[in-house]
Amino acid sequence: MKLKELKMIDVQFLGLINATLQAATLLFIAALGELIAEKSGVLNLGVEGMISIGAVSGFITAINTENLFLSILVGIVSASLFSSIHAFVTVILKQDQTVSGLILTILGLSLSSLIGKKYVGKKLNTKLEGVFDIENPSNILEIILGQNIIFYIAIILMIVTAFVLKRTMFGRRIEAIGEDLKSADSMGLKIGKTQFIATCVGGAFAGLSGVYLTLSYVPYWTDGMTSGRGWIALALVIFGGWKPYRTAFGALLFGFLEALGPRLQTYGFEMSPYIVKITPYVITIIVLILLTIFKNGDTGAPKNIGIPFFRENR
Amino acid sequence: MNKFIISKKLYRNELATFYSFLIGFLIAIVIGSIILLIQSKNPFDVFSLMLKLSIGSVNSLSNSLNKAIPLILAGLGIAIINSVKLWNIGAEGQIFFGAIALNFVYINTSIENSYLYILLLLASGFIGGSICIFLPALSKVLFGVNEIITTLLTNYIVFGLTIYLINGVWKDPNSLNFPAAAYVSESVYLPTVVGKLSSGFLICILFTLIAYYIKDKSVFGYEMRIAGGSTLTAVYAGISAKQKSFVAMLIGGGFAGLAGAIELLSQTHRVSTGISQGFGYTAIIVAAITGMRPLGIFLVGSLFGALAIGGSVIQTIGVSSYISDIIQATTLFGALIAQFFFSYEIKRVKDD
Repeated sequence: MKLKELKMIDVQFLGLINATLQAATLLFIAALGELIAEKSGVLNLGVEGMISIGAVSGFITAINTENLFLSILVGIVSASLFSSIHAFVTVILKQDQTVSGLILTILGLSLSSLIGKKYVGKKLNTKLEGVFDIENPSNILEIILGQNIIFYIAIILMIVTAFVLKRTMFGRRIEAIGEDLKSADSMGLKIGKTQFIATCVGGAFAGLSGVYLTLSYVPYWTDGMTSGRGWIALALVIFGGWKPYRTAFGALLFGFLEALGPRLQTYGFEMSPYIVKITPYVITIIVLILLTIFKNGDTGAPKNIGIPFFRENR
Repeated sequence: MNKFIISKKLYRNELATFYSFLIGFLIAIVIGSIILLIQSKNPFDVFSLMLKLSIGSVNSLSNSLNKAIPLILAGLGIAIINSVKLWNIGAEGQIFFGAIALNFVYINTSIENSYLYILLLLASGFIGGSICIFLPALSKVLFGVNEIITTLLTNYIVFGLTIYLINGVWKDPNSLNFPAAAYVSESVYLPTVVGKLSSGFLICILFTLIAYYIKDKSVFGYEMRIAGGSTLTAVYAGISAKQKSFVAMLIGGGFAGLAGAIELLSQTHRVSTGISQGFGYTAIIVAAITGMRPLGIFLVGSLFGALAIGGSVIQTIGVSSYISDIIQATTLFGALIAQFFFSYEIKRVKDD
């Protein structure tokens, strides 16, 4: 009897770990993409919309072709193309990044609702399976090994992004542009081109995050299913201080809190399910406030974030 | 070899924002038509039907103007907050919280004179909106917490709170399938002016003028612009940028809260999820497209109200209502593109 009870708690705990990893993967990929764009000085508030576009286009491809590789690719490419609207308007036409990003979110949400209308309620026959075939995982290692391919891609992306930003010429250029536009310009760096690429890479990441949402996290499509995750990803970038590894840590923390909410009841806390639903947002705000107080307002943001660049008349 | 150089125009056309809006709207109509054509619908038929059912009769016109009320009020709130160069993405939540605050006051008070009661309820809606933005505003001025993210996340919290209330303590036992709070008494309904046009529209006109006065004519508005423009100038002028920002945010939130109160007293008559259908987000487009000008917000808000009504009626012929959302968003993108050509010029120079 005692052993059985212990086993139950164990299964619950492993379920919590599993849900944490999944929620964290979703948030992290989108946050990492935004981090790259912001490093180059382009603030893109359209994360929510880009995730949504990636989610719906990946889902539709999966329903129609049952080819998961193709679905992932379509999700990434369409979200990246979608983010190029923001790149075009802010980098080339030098318009306000806040306005453009917000509209990207609104447009992305309504466009994906329009495209996905016929697919609401449809069930996916194929789902992203774990890379290693593990039935009834019994320890944390098996839970980690049981994650699907996008989880591993996220880890690779984290390492590659950290390396590229810190150790390669391209990464140093991005950082130089994000920190000091005028110096970067006088060094002869191609500011527009770099920012454009960084923004589209950010969009591609958000698309991957969206595909993860509809092909694995909750394998169906409904309107507004991104439910604010893009905004939590934006908060994560601040939390991570624009550093990939710290952002990953933040994603695990936020993912844990998101996974913990619905499980509180099993741990003996009585809470209305409606209140549980809003806990991630409350926690995000509290964390953001505490973090800003702790860092005394200097969160380590790139200096030129949100400032359009143009050379004065010469 | 030829080189292109982009430079800021010294002289910018006074009406640039207006022209940009028109160009943006044209671009949006073209893109909307393309989407309709892809769905094998005749754009001309769809748009003429939209036009007819949104402004074709006194009834439909008053529906459109009723729809415009929350867009205009929330848009004005966003514009006031933008005077100090801050963003309010939380209008959606403030609209809901205005309605919640109204219902709270309604349940706990009772006044014989219905006009006085309506005034009290409207005021509680306004204060509700201010309460809703209080924490983001306070954390912004005290610690510099990014207000875009905090105001946006507040939307999800308030929406969750609304669902909690209408499924729990406020649940109307008579409303079986659709969770909602109990109806308010008919004596506090906002009276109509002509046809179905709510007197909320008159309040809306009044607040447009108030916002215009605050923003462009009052000393406070002038100080807000200085506070938002340059910290140093504000310091030299003895203006506390933090204080101005805080007050501006509370007022702006109040405008959106008032929108929720009017929506409750004139349309839904109870707290439900139908208090706002994304009005707070559309209001961002309305405010941004007019360059945060109150009178412009009034006009564009009215137009977008008609678009929303048009969008909801064409569902009957099998066209998705999202088409009007897409037209609204692309109008702003188109206007941004047009703005570029009004603000910058591209020169070709010979590179020897």
